[in-house]
Amino acid sequence: MQRLLALIVVLVLAGCATTQRTSFPPPEGPAPPETPRPERPERPQPPEPSEPSEPSEPSEPEEMPPRSAQQASSPAVLSLLNTADTLARNGNMDRAASVLERALSIEPRNPFIYQRLASVKLAEGKNDQAEAMARKSNSVAGDNPFVRADNWQLIAEARRSGGDRGGASEATGRARNYRTSSQQLMQ
Amino acid sequence: MAQKKRSTRSTGRRSGTKKPVNKRRGFFRRLLPYVFLLGCAAAVVLAGYMVYLDSAVRAQFEGLRWTLPAKVYASPLELYAGLGLSRSDISARLDRQGYRASSSLARAGSYHSSSNQLDIHTRAFTFWDGKQAAREIRLKFNGSGVSSLSTLDDKGDSALMRLDPLMIGSIYPKQGEDRILVKLGEVPPMLPAGLITVEDREFMTHWGVSLKSIARAAWANLRAGGVVQGGSTITQQLVKNFYLDNRQTLVRKGKEALMAILLDAHYSKPEILEAYLNEVYLGQDGSRAIHGFGLASYFYFQKPLEELQPQEIALLVAMVKGPSYYNQRRHPERAKRRRDLVLDMFHAAGFLEDEGWRQAKKAGLGVSAHSVRSTSQYPAFIDLVRRQLLGPYKDNDLTEEGLRIFTTLDPAVQAATEKRVAKGLDKVEAGRGIERNSLQSAAVVTSVEGGRVLALVGGRDAGFAGFNRALDARRPIGSLIKPVVYLTALAQPSKYNVITPVDDSALSVKLANGDTWRPQNYSKRTHGNAVPLHYALSHSYNLATARLALDVGIPNVIDTLKKLGYTGDPLSVPSLALGAVDMAPMQVAQIYNTLAAGGYYTPLLAIRDVTTRQGEPLSRYPLKIQRAIDEAPVYLTNWILQRVARFGTGASMYNMLDSSLNVAGKTGTTDELRDSWFAGFSANRLAVVWVGRDDNQPAQLTGATGALQLWAGIMDDIEPRGLLNVPPEDVIEIPLRMRFDPARGADDGAYRGRRDCRGTAPVPFVRDQVPDGLSDCDSDIMRENRYRRRQAPEQRKEDDRNWLQKLFG
Repeated sequence: MQRLLALIVVLVLAGCATTQRTSFPPPEGPAPPETPRPERPERPQPPEPSEPSEPSEPSEPEEMPPRSAQQASSPAVLSLLNTADTLARNGNMDRAASVLERALSIEPRNPFIYQRLASVKLAEGKNDQAEAMARKSNSVAGDNPFVRADNWQLIAEARRSGGDRGGASEATGRARNYRTSSQQLMQ
Repeated sequence: MAQKKRSTRSTGRRSGTKKPVNKRRGFFRRLLPYVFLLGCAAAVVLAGYMVYLDSAVRAQFEGLRWTLPAKVYASPLELYAGLGLSRSDISARLDRQGYRASSSLARAGSYHSSSNQLDIHTRAFTFWDGKQAAREIRLKFNGSGVSSLSTLDDKGDSALMRLDPLMIGSIYPKQGEDRILVKLGEVPPMLPAGLITVEDREFMTHWGVSLKSIARAAWANLRAGGVVQGGSTITQQLVKNFYLDNRQTLVRKGKEALMAILLDAHYSKPEILEAYLNEVYLGQDGSRAIHGFGLASYFYFQKPLEELQPQEIALLVAMVKGPSYYNQRRHPERAKRRRDLVLDMFHAAGFLEDEGWRQAKKAGLGVSAHSVRSTSQYPAFIDLVRRQLLGPYKDNDLTEEGLRIFTTLDPAVQAATEKRVAKGLDKVEAGRGIERNSLQSAAVVTSVEGGRVLALVGGRDAGFAGFNRALDARRPIGSLIKPVVYLTALAQPSKYNVITPVDDSALSVKLANGDTWRPQNYSKRTHGNAVPLHYALSHSYNLATARLALDVGIPNVIDTLKKLGYTGDPLSVPSLALGAVDMAPMQVAQIYNTLAAGGYYTPLLAIRDVTTRQGEPLSRYPLKIQRAIDEAPVYLTNWILQRVARFGTGASMYNMLDSSLNVAGKTGTTDELRDSWFAGFSANRLAVVWVGRDDNQPAQLTGATGALQLWAGIMDDIEPRGLLNVPPEDVIEIPLRMRFDPARGADDGAYRGRRDCRGTAPVPFVRDQVPDGLSDCDSDIMRENRYRRRQAPEQRKEDDRNWLQKLFG
């Protein structure tokens, strides 16, 4: 059970850290897949400089919410997220949390930071804190179905490992709904 | 032994100088064996005493363990592209931390500032999460702050950099010694060389005492026409500090000399010198004694010993003679004269070159103005730190083990808060004809997210370590409680929304004890029976609030209060609805922080981490959050609190604040204008301010005329970011025209519900609880409502229509 959790955490972290703009739209949502996939390169690749940065046209009706920490975070915060990811992968959860809190004091309303904190708390077996952090992430995520889908997935895991099966499947349902709407957004 | 020999010799000499009298000689001859025996006995006693002294000296020196008060650090400044601080903000912070403006960055702790650029050679520092090396970096600036950070050394790129944190104080016992240990090998060589030159030239060669030194000192003093050198060696001075009291008796002098010889016999010169560096007394800060050069360097110059310039080293060496006599703050001229004399001695001894010597003598004393109050700089905050530590740590852990405590204090926010409190009170007193210096105040500033306490002011004179009003002055909170009442109501979205009409007509309540409670509005007027709920809160109507609280039930209000983080147990009485509960500003800050954080409770923390003296992590105070209240009602409440700031009792804040800044807050005023409160927040800053009098006499101020004026000044100075108003998942916003004029009464149509969407403002509702017939602007929601109306019970539909008809005509 613990190992499964740790695996999920690492995948969520890795998934968040490495979702690249260049691979957009990806074949799948940013959710952790059921089976482990080969480790991706640790360092996120910066967006290619040659790529036209697509000036957001004013005529565009809706702005695409950020799908990954890359799109929503400053370089300072990204460097801390990378540090935290490395620490978390090495099982150094408390220090990872400490680094994430440092990131939070720079960007206190960045939902991706809370999401990672939720993963770290989940890996530490602190299910209540994991859920609280994921919900906090939701509360600062605005209308971002990508973030919310992942957060509800985390909440489902937290509830499952806390023994709340009903709550877990409800959360999974909400994750699925947000996943659907995020896929609609991408079409 | 030497003592013994000398005494026999002197006896002999004396006998030799006396007139030889036969009778007497016979007497002495007969006495001689006794004298000899006595001498032997004295020798034995003395030898025993020496053995005793020897073991005392060794025991103390070997088990040498200075008591090291815990050191308290402010939150480190993080530097990164995007940081909203100007070049002058950052260089002010550098100056405060003893960084030296310099044309070269050769040494850590220096910086170079040019038009749009700031180069910094940071200091190495061991943080709780590891060591950060000294780096050379370059910051570039644009209109909004730091635009880029690059590194100038070859240690690789970095997206952010922490400055070493400002040391803001120590936790020392009352009447205690404070010090920072240094190693001989790590101090600038000029310090030990200078000390030896000035205090004890024969130090490297004598045996602990030196007749030559005494003679030299006497000669030097004679030449200088005053006391410039003392006769006792460094070893003797150490012994005196270490083992003996301050009485100047001959016996004590003898004992001092003996112990000095023993110390010198047992320990190497470097060991003795290092102990001296750490032991010597160098000043007084209230009840705190400044010991050793390590702390003195911070105390006087706010920087580590290794960064001191020659004139600064000379000043510290000069002070050894008499830290209070040569106190550079009280007697700057006297101190400078002696410092220059010491510089001359450095120069004459050959370890200060001509050029450096001239430069040094030209320099001012350079004593940091910021450290004038030094540790007593932040007494209220240090008090909070100490209280938060005292659970897990025992008193002597804090005063003896040299722990390093990393706190959340933001020196810039603290400085702004102190300044705005002091100046704001002056201004309020002057503007309203209140007796000067009669008002007191306290303020708490937090980070909202994470619940970090950024600043704490315990009184008008923030440097004065007296009554900590921020933590201990419990006063009735008045209308500050109202948002809790409205939140309790809005948490029942099927019954209340932000435009639900509430009744502001006269009220009297029979109490359990037989009394009758008859609250009144501040204006003494009533406003009819259909005041929109948001309006009643933003204009702080007492009657409407009291009625609402009675409707939802006082116990439920108390329940909400506790969920928000209040730990007390208030009486469940109707007057609670109007703030009949005593709280300290810190407790209010906790409650409002939960509101500001969207219903997520985080215990307010002043400490982030504690490490040992060597930097090993001991305990961390991790971020803990708890979903205390549903986000939706909190969002609605905060929406109303923004209207308090824009249109309600708090509106005068925008005389000071930028009108584009969205903030939320609430005024509080108590009976007979005794207490004036304001609690409010932006996205990243929460501040609670109390103004009143220590004798609890009326302050003659409302929340708006007193505390709000200070609050707005503080908020303006601490880089607030506006509230964003992103509705949570189950809140939707309906565009409505917001018109209500209490003078015209409710029948006249509070809301002109036009069928177009011009001139409307988005009004938040809980998703499934939008009243029918509000507006045609959002057809989806209205369609949903029509559907719901078909399902809803008849009665409810009737109710809805009745009051909506009143509102929308």
